[in-house]
Amino acid sequence: MSAERITRREMLKRLIVAPVGAAALATLPVREGSAAALQPYYEPYFVAVLWEGRTRCDSLWRSLKGDVVPVLPTVQGTTPYDRLYWTGYALGSAPVNVAMRVWARAVDHNGVPLGNGWRAIGQATIQTPPQRWFRVEIPEGHWDEYRLEVRSATPRLVYSRVIASQGYWKE
Amino acid sequence: MPVRFLRNASELADVSWETPLPVQVANAKPVPADTLLVATTTVTTDANRDLLGSTATELPTLDGCGQYRKLVWFYFRAGADAATYRVLARATDHNGAPLGAGWQEIVPATTLPGGANSWGRIEIPSAGDGYYDQYRIEVQRTAGSNYVLTSKIVGVR
Repeated sequence: MSAERITRREMLKRLIVAPVGAAALATLPVREGSAAALQPYYEPYFVAVLWEGRTRCDSLWRSLKGDVVPVLPTVQGTTPYDRLYWTGYALGSAPVNVAMRVWARAVDHNGVPLGNGWRAIGQATIQTPPQRWFRVEIPEGHWDEYRLEVRSATPRLVYSRVIASQGYWKE
Repeated sequence: MPVRFLRNASELADVSWETPLPVQVANAKPVPADTLLVATTTVTTDANRDLLGSTATELPTLDGCGQYRKLVWFYFRAGADAATYRVLARATDHNGAPLGAGWQEIVPATTLPGGANSWGRIEIPSAGDGYYDQYRIEVQRTAGSNYVLTSKIVGVR
């Protein structure tokens, strides 16, 4: 087993171009992973990491942060971003079968949501062989807050990150 | 004498049409989206009522939008009664005066999606780029009772 030392930027690039496992989606579109897929309108692209960490998936709908409180967002301050991407992999030797769904809402100048509840952006089922990368593209940009939820009938640990992209304005 | 440069970690290349000197964008910065409006509107049967509650048809709902490629209108509607929205746009001169009277209707009266206590998201314009200086966004209830519409509009460059 060999190891190499890479920068954080290089790691981000590898995550973006990581191979994608099969994902049967109800509404969310999924693209093959490549850097070019991140550049439909602008070049160069600005990409930010909004969240990264470990999520323990079980039979409850949990935010990536682990909570089961529906009113709490997973990521905030996402107004500038055209698009979000959730990418990661699940630990374990069994095939992966993790369901996920995405919610979004807007807030006023004080950070208070405009109304109750969330807008359902879409849902997906991540079905891959064990330890395979997956990526889900979240298409509706510029919402202020998103809640990404996961659940799995078989308890799993999922390492993932949420990245967001926005365009550059060339002066 | 050819000019050479380090093409990658281990390769020197001559400058040519096929292998030009590497460049990178300078003086570019990421520009966040701007919140242009947060408002609550009572949706009534009045014609020409915009999100600010005005029925004066020459008044814009949003001004100074020339820098924005797109507006994204987020809303939360408290009622399910049918309503329509209409989007008007126009350009102004250097003094901020409209180039002419009236508006260009970029979205004709269209059903406002969603039911009671639901969220919505509408891109303006839905296709292509905006860059209009002023917009007027009107909502009109076509059935049922009045209800409140809470809106937020974000300008995206």
